[in-house]
Parts: sequence; C-alpha cells; structure tokens
Amino acid sequence: MTTRARIHPGELAISLGLVALGSFVIYETQNIAETQGYAQIGPRLFPYLIGVGLALCGAVLGWEALSGGWRHVPLDDAHQEPDWMAFAIISAGVILHMVIIGWAGFILASILLFVLVARGFGSRKPVRDAIIATILAFVVFFLFTKGLGLTLPKGPFEGVF
Amino acid sequence: MDTFNALLSGFAVALSLQNLMWGFLGVTLGTAVGVLPGVGPALTIALLLPATAKLDPTGALIMFAGIYYGAMFGGSTTSILLNTPGESATIVTAMEGNLMAKRGRAGPALATSAIGSFVAGTIATILLTVMAPVIVDLALKFGPAEYFSVMVLAFTTVSAVLGASPARGLASLFFGLMIGLIGLDSQTGQARLAMGVPELLDGIDVVVVAVGLFAVGETLYIATYFNRESDQLEKMKGTIWMSRSDWKRSWKPWLRGTALGFPFGTIPAGGAEIPTFLSYAIEKKLTKHPEEFGKGAIEGVAGPEAANNASATGTLVPLLTLGLPTTATAAIILAAFQQWGLQPGPLLFETQPALIWGLIASMYIGNVILLILNLPLVGIWVKLLEIPRPLLYAGILIFATLGAYGLRNSWFDLALLYVVGLIGFLMRRYDIPVAPVLVGMILGPLAEQQFRRALAISQGDLTIFLRQPISATVLAITALVLIGPPIWRRMSARRAAGAPAAKG
Repeated sequence: MTTRARIHPGELAISLGLVALGSFVIYETQNIAETQGYAQIGPRLFPYLIGVGLALCGAVLGWEALSGGWRHVPLDDAHQEPDWMAFAIISAGVILHMVIIGWAGFILASILLFVLVARGFGSRKPVRDAIIATILAFVVFFLFTKGLGLTLPKGPFEGVF
Repeated sequence: MDTFNALLSGFAVALSLQNLMWGFLGVTLGTAVGVLPGVGPALTIALLLPATAKLDPTGALIMFAGIYYGAMFGGSTTSILLNTPGESATIVTAMEGNLMAKRGRAGPALATSAIGSFVAGTIATILLTVMAPVIVDLALKFGPAEYFSVMVLAFTTVSAVLGASPARGLASLFFGLMIGLIGLDSQTGQARLAMGVPELLDGIDVVVVAVGLFAVGETLYIATYFNRESDQLEKMKGTIWMSRSDWKRSWKPWLRGTALGFPFGTIPAGGAEIPTFLSYAIEKKLTKHPEEFGKGAIEGVAGPEAANNASATGTLVPLLTLGLPTTATAAIILAAFQQWGLQPGPLLFETQPALIWGLIASMYIGNVILLILNLPLVGIWVKLLEIPRPLLYAGILIFATLGAYGLRNSWFDLALLYVVGLIGFLMRRYDIPVAPVLVGMILGPLAEQQFRRALAISQGDLTIFLRQPISATVLAITALVLIGPPIWRRMSARRAAGAPAAKG
C-alpha cells in the first residue's frame, strides 16, 4: 500500500485540461452560424451543453484533486515506478510508422513498428522479432489487399507484386 | 405464434452455407480474442469495420455478434489458466478459477465455465427471442421525445451509475459526446469543432477512437506500468470432464448466474462486472462448501461465467429493439449497422426481418459451436497463451495501425490514433472508464437528432419531454438512478457511523 499525497499534480492537470477543453468547445461554438431552419434548435445548443458539461466535470475533479485526491482510485503499486523508456520506444515506433508509411510502404513500416514495440516490451531478440515481423507484415498485406480489397502503399515493392 | 415463425425463417437465413461460415468465423475469432489478453471484442470488431463495409450486412453482423459472445467464452480460459482476465467481464472467474487450476482442477473449471456459458447463452437467446417483439411493440409508440429520454437514461447509467466515480464517468461521457460533435452538423450541414482542418469535416472515425483507446492506449499502459512480472501459465492436468459432484454443484449457479446477468444486460446499465460480482457474492453465501471459497470453489466459477454470458446477450435486447448501446462493444456494433445505413430499432424488425431474425437465430447455432470449440478443443486455445508478450502487443499494433490507415490512406488518421492512444493511456492510468467515450461518441449525434426533432414537433416547447407519459417516466427513472445511490450511500454511512456509537 502506498499513501496518497494531499494534492495530486497529475489528477489536477487532467482536471484543468478538462476545464480548458470545455472552455475551448464553448469558444469554438460561437463561430457556428445560428441557422434554425424548420427546427427550433440550431447547431449551437448541444456544443454549448457539452462544453459546459466538460468544464463542470473538470471543476469537480479539480476540487477532488485539491482535497485529498480523486475519489475511489484503486491504489496500484505498479504506478510507483513507471518504465518511461518502454513508453518512449513504443511511441517512437508508432510515430516513425506514421512518418514513413507513405513512401516506405505498409510492409517496411510495419516491420519497424513491430520490432520497436517488441523492444519496448523488453524483447532482446531483434533478429527473431524482425523475421516474425516480416512474415506477419506480408501475410497481413496480402490478406487485406487481395482478400478484403483494401488499398495499402507498397513502397519499394511497387511493381514487384 | 408470429415470433416462432419469424424465428424459423431466421433459421433459414442463419443456416445458409454462407452465413454459417460467417457465424463460425465470428465465434472462432471471438474465442481467440477472448483468450488473448490485450485484445477484446470491441477492438476486433472496430478493426474489421472498414474491411467489411462492402460485404453483405447479414453475414457481417452475424460474425460481429459471434465475436461479441464468443469473447465471453474465451475470456474464461485465460482467467482460469493465467489469472489475468482475458476480458474485463471475467475478473471474478480469475479469482476462484485460477485457484482451482493451481490445485490441478483446471479441467473441471474450464468445463463448468464452457457449459455454464452455453447454458446461459442459450437461455438468454431464448429470452431475447421472446422479449424482443414485446419491446418492439412498445417502442413503435416511441416518438422523438421518448427516444431522447431513453438515450439520456442510457448515458446516465453507463457513465454515472456504474464504476467508481460519477465525476470521472461523466467526464468520459462528455469527452465522447464532444468527439461526436466534430464534423458536419447532420441537419444544417455546418462544420462544428473542425477548426478549419479538412480531415475533421468528415468527423473522427469510430475505428480510430476505439483502436486508439483499446490498442494503442492499452499497449502503452501495459508496457509502462505492468511489464515487470511475468505471467504464470497453469498446466492443464488430469481430466477435462466434470465429476458427478461437479455437475451437482454447478447447475444451480449456472441458472442463478443467468437470472442475474440477463436483466443487467437488458436494462440500459451495460457491463457485465456488476452481475458477475453479484453472482459471486450470492454463490459464496449459498454454497454448502464455504470452506472451499478462496481456495477454488467450482460454484464461484460457474455462477459468474453464466452471468457474464447472459449479460452479453442481454445487451443485444436494447441494442436491437431500441438502438441503444450500453457497452463499448455494443456501441461499435451500432456503428457497424450504421455503415450500411441501417439503424437498429423497432422499424428494422419490419423492414429487415431476415437480417434481425437471422442474427438472433445465428446465436443459437453459435452457442453450440462455441461449446464444441471451448470444451473438446480447448487445448488449441491454450497454445495462444504461450505467445510471448512482446510479440503479442507488437502484433496488436500492426493491426491497429492498419485499421486506422486503411480508412483513407492518410497519415492524419495515424496521428489521430496516437493522440487518442495517449488519452487512453492517461484514462487507464487515472482510472477513467473508456466505455462512456464510445457510447457518447456514437449515441450523442443520434440523441441530438431526436432532441431537435422533438422540439420541432412541439414548436420549441421544452416541456414535451415531461408531458409525454413514457418520456416523463423514463426521465424520472433517470433522476432516481442519478441521485438515489449517493443518498443511499450517505444514509448507510451514517448508519454505520451511528452503530458503534449506540453500542458504546
């Protein structure tokens, strides 16, 4: 068991984020032209309500964060020592995949993503991972393009198959 | 016997070779994703949405339903052998079931959950068959005001009543409603919250949100916080079959679990967690072997397993008859209907009887297939649990990015996927439920549409929601479930505080 600090910065940050998001929704809604048409209610009412709802939830949670922390949060010791390296490696995998898929194609981008995610989970066998990734990427590529009719970028394999 | 004839013609649809194949594929996939930790039915169906858009809706929906209830069967296998729930609804099974496996009784634990799931699934399907036409008759009287009120009730129960904190549940719901706003307003065609980004004019696709939350967010969360200890896979030893005393101790919990799970699925309260916990508590109280609870009691597996299966099938009652999703998976199935331009509800029973009744009939068949898949063939699924965690999650992300990118071959969707993944990571870390996001995002635009229609009919008079008797009743129930539990909790807290004082 761990004891909780009186003010929880992470919880406070999320609460303030919700208030900010709600305010943003309300602000953006003012840019929607109010045309009623045959209906009595235009396109603005729901965005206003939802913006207010978000801000209110954020305010309540913010008050909770300042007065002893959010209510009924299960205490998990695992949360004490996050592995940010794993987080960074997997994030890098997803972002790199996004950057290169356009020109390197689905297969190469997926192989890179697979190897990085496996590494993020602590795999120390990059060669094995790369071999499995290659097989999986090819199988998935053909299954979804030939079998299900999706279009995926081929990258350097353009014209090869 | 209209229902009976409708069901018979449904069987004619479901037994066609093509639909049998879709059903078989669905329950097999469902069992597999149920077994695999980190993959659930909501994620699987979301990933299949883009790829099935061109298929025949009947076959695809039969497959999706199969994935949904198949995952409930498969989830128990993981809970029993790994003590990591394969599905959130099988948390309770993980307690007694894993203890049974540790004592070398993995076989009977798997058997009682598979047979219990079959019994519960079949009874629940019969109840669905009988109840659906009755609710449809009632729902045909619904106007926009009634629909809006029922949706408000669903929003309330899904976000505020269930779960640890109403504030966090509602925050999640409003976030989902906000995502639902993005894009063109359905009635006036005006852009809302698109911020001038052309990609956002079409709205954010449900695939990106579901996959971002369930695949990317979950992967980041597990890797960051839960990748130190390795799982202990229990061996399957001895017989898979249940002894005479196992049967005797199982059949009543199966029926009680079904009786608990089905109503909880049916009322717009979604989620199988509550009925499974209730079932566990009841079995613990009623058992003749209280000494075995905490060491692996078969009743503690049989009851909750039946409850979660009955509740999954029960969820389809409001989904099919009213178009109300009450779980994340049901919300995605609703999105699936929408991609063929279908709107579940009473009218669909009249316009598409072959589809609806074919779907219901397919569930009888699916349950039989699942019993075979999960009992004699359980050994195959156990193999899936031997996949090392790094490879499993790496594979999940390949499919996740494929699902998002395949929508329109745009890197923008991948960027969005990562952003939603980060939000999902934070939601998991700070114990904010994710199901309300999906329900809000998919049901929100429909609720707004009904609200505006209702006010168009009443010429802007807001009291229409209170003047229609059905609508007023539903709103009264909503108010009751919203303010009832906190008051009740406060009163019982006062009583608990008062009791020792009285003694002293």
